[in-house]
Amino acid sequence: MASKFGFAGGIPERKVRPIWDAIDSRQFKNALKHVTTLLAKHPNSPYALALKALVLERMGKSDEAFSVSLNAKDHLFSNDSLLIDDLTLSTLQIVFQRLDRLDLATECYEHACGKFPNKMELMMGLFNCYVREYSFVKQQQTAIKMYKLAGEEKYLLWSVCSIQLQVLCGNGGDKLLVLAEGLLKKHVGSHSLHEPEALMVYISILEQQAKFGDALEILSGKLGSLLMIKVDKLRMQGRLLALAGDYTAAADIFHKILESCPDDWESFLHYLGCLLEDGSIWFDEAVNDPVHPPKFVSCKVSHLSDEQFDCQISIASTFIRKLQTDTVDNSIRCPYLATIEIERRRHLRGKGNDNDLMDGIVQYFCRFGHLACFTSDVEMFVEVFTTDKKAELLEKLMKNNDTLSASPTKTLGLSISLFKIKQQLLLGDMFKSSENDVEASCVQMFEMYCKNLPLSKDLDPQESMHGEELLSVTCNILVQLFWRTKNVGYLVEAVMVLEFGLSIRRYVSQYKILLLHLYCHFGALSVAHEWYKSLDVKNILMESMLHHILPQMLVSPLWIELNSLLKDYLKFMDDHFRESADLTFLAYHHKNYSKIIEFVQFKDRLQRSSLYLMARVETPILQLKQNADNVEDEEGILQNMKCGSHFLELSNEIGSKSLTFNEDLESRPWWTPTVEKNYLLGPFQGISYCPREILTKERETSLKRDIEKKSLLPRMIYLSIQSASLSIKEHVEVNGSVTPDITLELKLLLERFAQFLGFSLSEAIEVVKGFSNGERSVISDSNLIDWLNFIVFLNAWNLSSHELVHPDRNERRPIIWNILDSLLEKHILEKVRSMEPQLCSPWSDIQLLMQLVTEPLAWHGLVIQSCLRSCLPSSKKKKKSGSSYQSSSNMAHAITDSVQQLSLLLEDVMKWISEWNKRPEDENAEGILSLLRKDGHTEGPGRVFHILETFISSMSNADVGDRIYHSLKSWSPADVARKMMTGKLKVLMEFSTICESKLKLLQSLKQQIAHV
Amino acid sequence: MTTIRRFCCNDLLRFTNVNLDHLTETFNMSFYMTYLARWPDYFHVAEGPGNRIMGYIMGKVEGQGESWHGHVTAVTVAPEYRRQQLAKKLMNLLEDISDNIDKAYFVDLFVRASNAPAIKMYEKLGYVIYRRVLRYYSGEEDGLDMRKALSRDVEKKSIIPLKRPITPDELEYD
Repeated sequence: MASKFGFAGGIPERKVRPIWDAIDSRQFKNALKHVTTLLAKHPNSPYALALKALVLERMGKSDEAFSVSLNAKDHLFSNDSLLIDDLTLSTLQIVFQRLDRLDLATECYEHACGKFPNKMELMMGLFNCYVREYSFVKQQQTAIKMYKLAGEEKYLLWSVCSIQLQVLCGNGGDKLLVLAEGLLKKHVGSHSLHEPEALMVYISILEQQAKFGDALEILSGKLGSLLMIKVDKLRMQGRLLALAGDYTAAADIFHKILESCPDDWESFLHYLGCLLEDGSIWFDEAVNDPVHPPKFVSCKVSHLSDEQFDCQISIASTFIRKLQTDTVDNSIRCPYLATIEIERRRHLRGKGNDNDLMDGIVQYFCRFGHLACFTSDVEMFVEVFTTDKKAELLEKLMKNNDTLSASPTKTLGLSISLFKIKQQLLLGDMFKSSENDVEASCVQMFEMYCKNLPLSKDLDPQESMHGEELLSVTCNILVQLFWRTKNVGYLVEAVMVLEFGLSIRRYVSQYKILLLHLYCHFGALSVAHEWYKSLDVKNILMESMLHHILPQMLVSPLWIELNSLLKDYLKFMDDHFRESADLTFLAYHHKNYSKIIEFVQFKDRLQRSSLYLMARVETPILQLKQNADNVEDEEGILQNMKCGSHFLELSNEIGSKSLTFNEDLESRPWWTPTVEKNYLLGPFQGISYCPREILTKERETSLKRDIEKKSLLPRMIYLSIQSASLSIKEHVEVNGSVTPDITLELKLLLERFAQFLGFSLSEAIEVVKGFSNGERSVISDSNLIDWLNFIVFLNAWNLSSHELVHPDRNERRPIIWNILDSLLEKHILEKVRSMEPQLCSPWSDIQLLMQLVTEPLAWHGLVIQSCLRSCLPSSKKKKKSGSSYQSSSNMAHAITDSVQQLSLLLEDVMKWISEWNKRPEDENAEGILSLLRKDGHTEGPGRVFHILETFISSMSNADVGDRIYHSLKSWSPADVARKMMTGKLKVLMEFSTICESKLKLLQSLKQQIAHV
Repeated sequence: MTTIRRFCCNDLLRFTNVNLDHLTETFNMSFYMTYLARWPDYFHVAEGPGNRIMGYIMGKVEGQGESWHGHVTAVTVAPEYRRQQLAKKLMNLLEDISDNIDKAYFVDLFVRASNAPAIKMYEKLGYVIYRRVLRYYSGEEDGLDMRKALSRDVEKKSIIPLKRPITPDELEYD
């Protein structure tokens, strides 16, 4: 047998090599030729067949590949005398995996292992199959067999990890951990352990069972020496001791860590927690979301007596002071921040005084205030103070700043920190300061930026420049001034400041993100999208950054750009889901067991990503929007998505899923802390720095509803098209066999949809009927699209069910149809008539207008197309059957009227868009710039802009260096103003193109009607 | 203020502030996960107060005989935490692991020939330019292979500069 093993399925290697070579060099045709020759000689060889399947699959011929691979599998199973080797199996496995049929690959390996029960190579393949299928129990069983056979530590650990996976990622109960522990214990008894990662798994199994004492014993015994990174071992010991409640011993351990790593902030927090017998930091770890850990330190008021508390605090203080004296490295911040944390704990206990805490912060400022991270370092401590105390602190900091003498870059750093702290932390009540003061502070910051530009003249263009943050802070305050005054000039000024900064150095991502949101606010979405692209967001960054642009794009007519955003993102995610298991197997193979659970949990996290689920639903909706002007194309699209039934499943499942939120919200501007919130759209609330209250639970509930609702759409569109065509057929085939399923299913979905509007179906129908009398109080901007979509589908359903009859039976149009047309007209015209063609006209209204046209109006168009198609004879039948158009006169009227009405409506929209294009570009730009020109006024926007213009005209290349000089000289505010307007116009032009295409459709429908 | 610990998958969702830097590459998932699955001790992250990611280092250990060496694939620090010697701490950690745990002969890294600030920093950390790799970066820009000898290379043979530049296909390892 062994001698035959070099031969795959009995074929000598030299005969298959050319095939593999051709596959590797992607010469698939050539490979197929070789395979065909090989198969002529070995027609029943599973290996040759598997190779053929592989080549076919790579050529894109999936169906053929599948049938050949099934053939190979059959031969493998049917021939008992056949030797089964791993090469054949792994080749088949590759094909099945690429065809998304992991189950078949597993069957092959299961069969092989059944036939040759003791072959390690085959068992390894089988184990790998189970890893790919996430079959943890079967993984465990296979691994244990391998362990019994080979006695290797590795296989035992594979089995143990598979048990852990059952407990942590599957349905296995905690009791399984006892089994895992038993297996390890027995093995350690006879063979000990040899891999550090094996020990880590052993410890984690004990920790999960709260057997901290046992874990500690093992760690401090002989096995502990496996952990070569000393500090890692100490951290583990400290953690276990604290969890076991032995805080004294734990504190000693963290003390030791701090002696060797005095800058280890987390260990300091652990140390202090242990001294005060407070384990919150560990207990909260289990409940906190690991991707969004809290910014603030978890702690609770100590239960110690006053005396004990004082004593422990003084131990901590003494130790920290010692660390400060012993530390020679100037960059070590931990012992200094630790002093403040100790004061904060005293404060929480009611024992501290504000002055001590304040002094601690001032000291820290004197030492580290020049660092960019100063503000975020002290953020949590400043929060302790009342508003008055915050102001006092600011005063103290400013006083100290005046006395500090430092190098120019440090002085600049200190000033930036002061500005940041003023903006972010202290002046939560900045509204108390006059607008003039706030503006003055902007001016001051901007002047400081300009004045310090020479400091950066010799820096490499790749390096961050000194004072870069000043422009972001200036922008933030200018936006706040806009919020306060509603004077759009401030927003324009903020854009100018950031564009100016990017012309000097084009890599500052912080500016780009702020700009992106500002341009979105203006509706210059195409420019926003350009800036987003310049951030080079790819791979996993999409998961954390896409939220900056995606929501705005979803309601925009920039379909090509949106499509590519969605496509890239989904491809990345789906690729990861496909390859994740193979990478997990790599961790098994390299004995890095701790990574196994991490990988599986991470994949699971991404699969439940709110963004991913949203993108999966939005992608088909986009396709449906794009093809709505041709009912045949739309049906083709729907066929490809199984008529929407797949999304229906998602809609049914989503309720029971727990979603994950992986966005990096920290990178969002203050005025829109989450996707759902934009303070600038509401009234000024008198806070300068909005709290990022991220109510994940609430977001989850509303997002789930949204996904659930949206995933009904494809199916409802499909059923509406069907229902509309049934309505006419009924007239034709008076006694024909019209299946009621479509009508019934659509009714059920309407019932579900009505619930999203807050009504039962019958109630919702009554509400809709009320619309005809002008009763529209239930409709608001936030549910307008949902209501209209609902009415579109309701109308379609009614066409085949005829349940809703017009009270006046002589009315020439179906009742719902009537209501729908008039609502579309009312809302579209309302939007169009209320908006002037100006830069600052509210974009949210334009977004709604675009949605009205691309969603309900588009779906309604499909219903009309479907109706008309059914009543117009196809060319073949024309002569025989004649037209049914006249026979259904109500329908004919409805179609004719609707087509006419919608055409006029779209013409109005297009006329409105063309108004935007009338003004010459330069006039537009001048209009924008005039918002910033002071013309003798001292108040209002433009002060910063004035300095900017003066600076550009006055600086010399000797001051700022050639590079900065040239980039500034070539920068033009008028270009930016032009860009703002053209960015907006581009979006509107795209919208116009969409309207035009819909208008063309309606015109062709008119012609069809005319020819009847 | 740095807690340096092993990098884990969730950090991929937290390192935006670091990776938005234009010189920091965001690799595909299999790249990160291969490093995590094979060399978890060479992939570390520095975390600051408020659980903020400050920067990270990823690397590996590979080679045969006297070419057994640690390799720095990426080291990067968020703008907020620059000019605090964090990169140095991360590099020292990787060097320690290569030297003391894996007993490697040297540590090496590749840097764009135009990235003067980085080259200067590596030189300060004791790295020397061992050789130039022609058109290493996307077939356009040259790369510099910089090395630092570890204690096992007593005679510092591993860092004697090569006299001629090489092409990427002459590289022993990817």
